[in-house]
Amino acid sequence: MKHILQVLKFEYLNCIKNKAFIITTIILMLLILGTAFVPAIIMDMQKSDEGEDTPGEMNIIGIINNAYENNNDLVTKTFEKYYPNSVVQVTDENIEDIKTKVNNSEYTFGVILNSPISFTYVTKNNSLMGEETIIISEAAKGIYRAVNFEKFGVDYDRTATILDAPMVYDTVTTGTDQTKNYFSTYVLVMILYMAIVMYGQMVSQSVVTEKNTRAMEMLITCAKPTHLMFGKVIGSGLAGLTQLVVIIATAFASLKTISLKSLPENLSDMLSMPPSTVIYALIFFITAYFIYAFLLGSLSSLASRSEDLNTLTTPVMMIFVAAFMIVVMSMTSDVNNTLMIICSYIPFTAPIAIFARIAMSDVALYEIIISIIIQLVSIYLLGMLAAAIYRIGVLMYGNPPKFSEIIKLLKEQHKTNKAIKSKE
Amino acid sequence: MELKAENIFKSFGEKEVLRDISFTAHSGAALGLLGRNGAGKTTTIRIIMGVFFPDKGKVLVDGKQINRNNIRIGYMPEERGLYPKIKICDQLVYLAQLRGMSSKDAQKACEKWLERMSMTEYKNKKLETLSKGNQQKIQLAATLMCDPQIVILDEPFSGLDPVNAMLLKDVIKEMITGGAVVLFSSHQMNYIEEFCESIAIINQGKIAVDGKITDIKRSYPRDRIAVTSKDFEKISPFVLQKMSDDITDVKADGENTIIIKMKSPEFKSRLFSELSNQDFDIDCFKVCEPSLNDIFVQYTEVGV
Repeated sequence: MKHILQVLKFEYLNCIKNKAFIITTIILMLLILGTAFVPAIIMDMQKSDEGEDTPGEMNIIGIINNAYENNNDLVTKTFEKYYPNSVVQVTDENIEDIKTKVNNSEYTFGVILNSPISFTYVTKNNSLMGEETIIISEAAKGIYRAVNFEKFGVDYDRTATILDAPMVYDTVTTGTDQTKNYFSTYVLVMILYMAIVMYGQMVSQSVVTEKNTRAMEMLITCAKPTHLMFGKVIGSGLAGLTQLVVIIATAFASLKTISLKSLPENLSDMLSMPPSTVIYALIFFITAYFIYAFLLGSLSSLASRSEDLNTLTTPVMMIFVAAFMIVVMSMTSDVNNTLMIICSYIPFTAPIAIFARIAMSDVALYEIIISIIIQLVSIYLLGMLAAAIYRIGVLMYGNPPKFSEIIKLLKEQHKTNKAIKSKE
Repeated sequence: MELKAENIFKSFGEKEVLRDISFTAHSGAALGLLGRNGAGKTTTIRIIMGVFFPDKGKVLVDGKQINRNNIRIGYMPEERGLYPKIKICDQLVYLAQLRGMSSKDAQKACEKWLERMSMTEYKNKKLETLSKGNQQKIQLAATLMCDPQIVILDEPFSGLDPVNAMLLKDVIKEMITGGAVVLFSSHQMNYIEEFCESIAIINQGKIAVDGKITDIKRSYPRDRIAVTSKDFEKISPFVLQKMSDDITDVKADGENTIIIKMKSPEFKSRLFSELSNQDFDIDCFKVCEPSLNDIFVQYTEVGV
């Protein structure tokens, strides 16, 4: 136990003092600060932009009306309703003129009403998220309705209030609101995933380095391999946890300073999460970390060089990526689908699967407990297995052994251990 | 203190690595553990260190099963290994603590040994910034920091310049006179001869020969006499003529020296008196003993 603590302390301090680790932490903090402040700053700038709109720099919309003869007024009036801050000009210019003017930014954009139910939208730059065509459609629809209602002798202005009556609604959620938690859960699942990949690889790398530099030759004579491995896994895990805590604290602090109120309501809704979710995230970070760190650490002990590492750890990483994909895909449809329920009980997928379910829906307490117990038991078993593999691996040089060879060596070791115990 | 390996067997899978290894080492003397590459030296050492368990056999200290918690063992592996990217004092303290020292004692020992190795200035440097020889010295400091009762040194001299080799020699001699059991493994026979009273040669997992070096040497037929004299050119024909029945061969061996091979060691005194009766200017007359190198080659060449 004393050895585990010493190894733990050494590994922890080394991780924390490692330059790459410090730099990663700082970059992540900056990223968080960036994502927290930049939207607010941009929104601020947009607001001030709108405020400073001078009449001299009016947005002009150029429209060619080929659809409604002698009805330019209606077109102008309707478009002005949809674009209250712009000047609407119905012109006699041809389409090429409009294109040139749009290109020269004389017009913000141009619309050619080809027929009552079709139009051409002329724009300089078409943005991915552009909503312009939708608004123009609405405007064109308005004109179409007005003209046709009039034909049948119906007063459009009065009908419009009936047709466009806005509905006020309220949602009462009895379980967990999936729409509301989607974003925050997504962020947490992503953090969980990245953290496990990062810290898992940290353990792998550190095991191989110890072997590669032959520091293991010294260490192995000072402490039991089992102690060395547990110390390393726990130490690196704590270092990872420290990093996570620093980053999450930065996130909270920056959200507090910009105050959620300055963000649009839906965004602040997205970011807020109940404290229980954060606690669950922490629990499942720890279980997932141990499951994967034991696996990766022991497999890495079979590699003699960093180059061999990929071959050995890729299968494990694939499992984890698959788990992540399943969870993320299920989150957009039904987070409680059969696959997710099954995944909640498979040790390798359980931590993120059950976490996503808890965060986005209501999961019965017994399900959570069963999942956690399964995870804890597998951590114990994986720890034992990892220790056994590690003991064989650390002094083995050359090509990584085949799976069958590992099994054979494990069996042999088990036999020797038994013999020794019986002797004692 | 007495360290004894008793009938140790060890196999890895199908491969038998050690077959009945036994030897004894005493405090205040060094035992040379010799063998060709892959003979089983490192495995033997690892069994002593408790990294591997023997399939059969025991490691005893003063006749009792070794208890590694009570005995301080310092081991310097042939494959030098420390952390390249960590400050020297940090890793020395860490290793000493793993060996059971308190943090304070470890700090003190670290200071002491760095000074002893004249490496104090490198205390806060990373290991990888040091030259190979200096890394070697750090490795030795790491080995000896816990003030070990048993010291196992595997090729301690490789990569050291003559001055550092001298420093290391002094340190090792100090350990020996200080009463430590020293196991010394090297392929440089001159060092073995310098430090070790006894040797154990392992060949293909078995002890080929063990015992005191002088005894082993004496066990060889003492039928060759080396005579060093500036009159060596006259001596050759003289002895060949005078003792033609007792001598099989005379040949030159280096400067001013001839080797006289007799039919039997018992003719030594006659040869001596014949030569001393003449007026030859003789610097040295001695029995040719086999060198450790010869012994090593003889015992390990067979069966390979």
